[in-house]
Amino acid sequence: MKTLRPSGVLAVVALAGLSLVAGGLGEALGNCGPFTDVAADVFCPFVLEIFYLGITTGTTATTYDPASNVTRLQMAAFLSRTVDGVLKRGSRRAALDQFWTSTNGTILGATTLGGTCRLLKSDGADIWVANTGAGTVNRVRASDGKVLETSTSANLAFGVLVAMGRIFVSGGTNPGSLYGIDPSQPAGAVTILASNVGIGAQGITFDGARIWTANGNGTVSIITPGPSIPWTVTTVTIGLQLNGAVFDGNSVWVTEVASPGKLDKLDANGAVLMSVTAGTTPLHPVFDGSNIWVPGGTSNATVVRASTGAILSILTGNGLENGGTVAAFDGQRVLFTAQNSDLVSIWKAADLSPITNVSLGDIPFGACSDGVYFWVTVQGGGRLLRF
Amino acid sequence: MKLDRSRALVLPLALLIGLLAGAGDGLLGICGPFTDVAADVFCPFVLEIFYLGITTGTTSTTYDPASNVSRLQMAAFLSRTVDGALGRGSRRAALDQFWTSQNDSAFGLTTLNTATTPSGMIRSDGADLWVANRGGMVSRVRGSDGKLLETWTGATMGFGVLTAMGRVLVGGGTNPGNLYEIDPSQPAGAVSTVASSLGNSPFEIAFDGSRVWMANIDGTLSIVTPGAAIPWTATTVTSGLSTLRGLLYDGSNIWAANQVPGRLLQLDPAGAVLNTVVVGLNAGFPIFDGANIWVPNSSDDSVSVVRASSGVVLATLTGNGLSSPQVAAFDGQRVLVTNNLTGADRVSLWKAADLTPLGSFSTGAGTKPFGAASDGVHFWIVLAPVNKLARF
Repeated sequence: MKTLRPSGVLAVVALAGLSLVAGGLGEALGNCGPFTDVAADVFCPFVLEIFYLGITTGTTATTYDPASNVTRLQMAAFLSRTVDGVLKRGSRRAALDQFWTSTNGTILGATTLGGTCRLLKSDGADIWVANTGAGTVNRVRASDGKVLETSTSANLAFGVLVAMGRIFVSGGTNPGSLYGIDPSQPAGAVTILASNVGIGAQGITFDGARIWTANGNGTVSIITPGPSIPWTVTTVTIGLQLNGAVFDGNSVWVTEVASPGKLDKLDANGAVLMSVTAGTTPLHPVFDGSNIWVPGGTSNATVVRASTGAILSILTGNGLENGGTVAAFDGQRVLFTAQNSDLVSIWKAADLSPITNVSLGDIPFGACSDGVYFWVTVQGGGRLLRF
Repeated sequence: MKLDRSRALVLPLALLIGLLAGAGDGLLGICGPFTDVAADVFCPFVLEIFYLGITTGTTSTTYDPASNVSRLQMAAFLSRTVDGALGRGSRRAALDQFWTSQNDSAFGLTTLNTATTPSGMIRSDGADLWVANRGGMVSRVRGSDGKLLETWTGATMGFGVLTAMGRVLVGGGTNPGNLYEIDPSQPAGAVSTVASSLGNSPFEIAFDGSRVWMANIDGTLSIVTPGAAIPWTATTVTSGLSTLRGLLYDGSNIWAANQVPGRLLQLDPAGAVLNTVVVGLNAGFPIFDGANIWVPNSSDDSVSVVRASSGVVLATLTGNGLSSPQVAAFDGQRVLVTNNLTGADRVSLWKAADLTPLGSFSTGAGTKPFGAASDGVHFWIVLAPVNKLARF
């Protein structure tokens, strides 16, 4: 079966008035693709794969220099390109032929929910939005933005967690609440799973067995699911005010408003193992698989290596000038919503470089990703935007 | 130079027995099977790339940890890393779907109610597939089970499909051309016409993050800016060529494929041609795989693979069932190309990372596959003559 016809005839490319010649492609010119110094042996396919993927360009257009060693500097370039290429190709956006980044707020898909939308999460198919103003939880189909259901009686609903086949919502009441929704059942009033959570529960996360809330009164509540309601709640005091909570696969981290602000790593009992300086009023962070991105609340964001607690970078600019509120991660990019402007700020997660910032025309608050889109709640009109 | 051994690592029988018996690495080596790697902080990294098949060691019991890595060895390591990460990270892996359908009897088929009018293109919104046809109907098919959910009407001469901005947009191949809009959150009905007086007979449409682009058969490009009010603003520019068909966005630039002569054009934001790449005859409907653009060339039965960052033609693929190739699709690992020649009735499949053929597969006699897209799990193929949508 004839499969790969070498480009023996040079491909002529007119680039901005210049002529580029794609020389050296194919067996007619090299032993292994364009490379004259690589044997057509068992290693040739490996060399060609990283050439086609853009991981290497060769040492010249026709040489690869196969016998030379790789320096650590070259290795960094190869590994960086490998990671970028794999993440880009492996994303759902690639399979859906969606390589763009929306560049302005007027072209975003919008779903009107009303009330005051706060945090939100995807269950893989639908988006669940906590609506503080209305005391509801909205279920929106991600594929088309249609409002599917609205659950009620979620007083001061704030944070959302998708886990255990359920939807959990923190209630910022006094004392705080944990609400539950069984998404397989018709929508109705939420179930109050616990009503003795710390005051002003906001951020919510799951460690594989227990639900954690970060509370406005500086406590963390650890809720153990059980067969009967109410579920058991243990509340631990951390500081004066907590906002966000995130689980990195090993530990729960919470953001603490202090002077300066902190990102606190907790042990299984809620005791503080480590505190990392992070902004002034750090809000709702996200974990990207390696690092925790903490919106600082005022004018920056801090990126913390989860394995060590080391601060890798303090990000400024790119729309963070007016403070960040919530961070979200889509597998490649981190998005921050701004606290005092209508911007969202987007960064490449792998190298912490800014991508762009985009005006939404309204002040955003919550954000999440479903792996294809970012979803952002904006404060005007209780709207949900698909970014 | 010590070369890392090839993929096929044959463990000595004693070692294999030991592994099967659950023997600890203390019995076999210091670090897994390796006797020359210390059981220190680096051991887990070595074991991970061994278990993943990225390295096979220099022998069955040695890794040679202190030696440098040659560029040739590195190529093997990186190539296997890419393949492993993409293979494991795909949705197909999580769904335990590692197969490739071998023939049309293994396809899932959905009957469309679009009669047998000529096919248009198809796109996934992540959950559902949207199929246009020349008869003016746009079908919505649920990706999880292939159920026909809705049929929208009024998309006269519908051809190109785009899912963006929370909407479904369809190009109308009329003269002048039209752009139709569907709000998928609403009950099915007639499409809305959001732009008209576009270039003659638009084919494929693409999105750059703020504007909708349409490639027209008269060689023009229509650039439509969505707005709050209808009609949306449109400008039409000439490309200097005569028969544009395919269109895509690579994250930086729009690219348009021209039928005769076979050219792939890289465009600037105003539609001016930055770069002209010579591809095969009758270039059709290309796809971007994250690095390269795959251009089906229907008249010379080939696919041109073009590096998007430079415009260089990396390879021209032939064989593997190519017979009047029309439309390319990418699922994160593989590129599928439909072959529309009467009697061919096949799709051709390649591994996108190294351009190697994975075979060609019959879609059934008389099916003439045309439009194709992926939802990240399956490829979906439009079989207009039999009024079906195939899940591959």
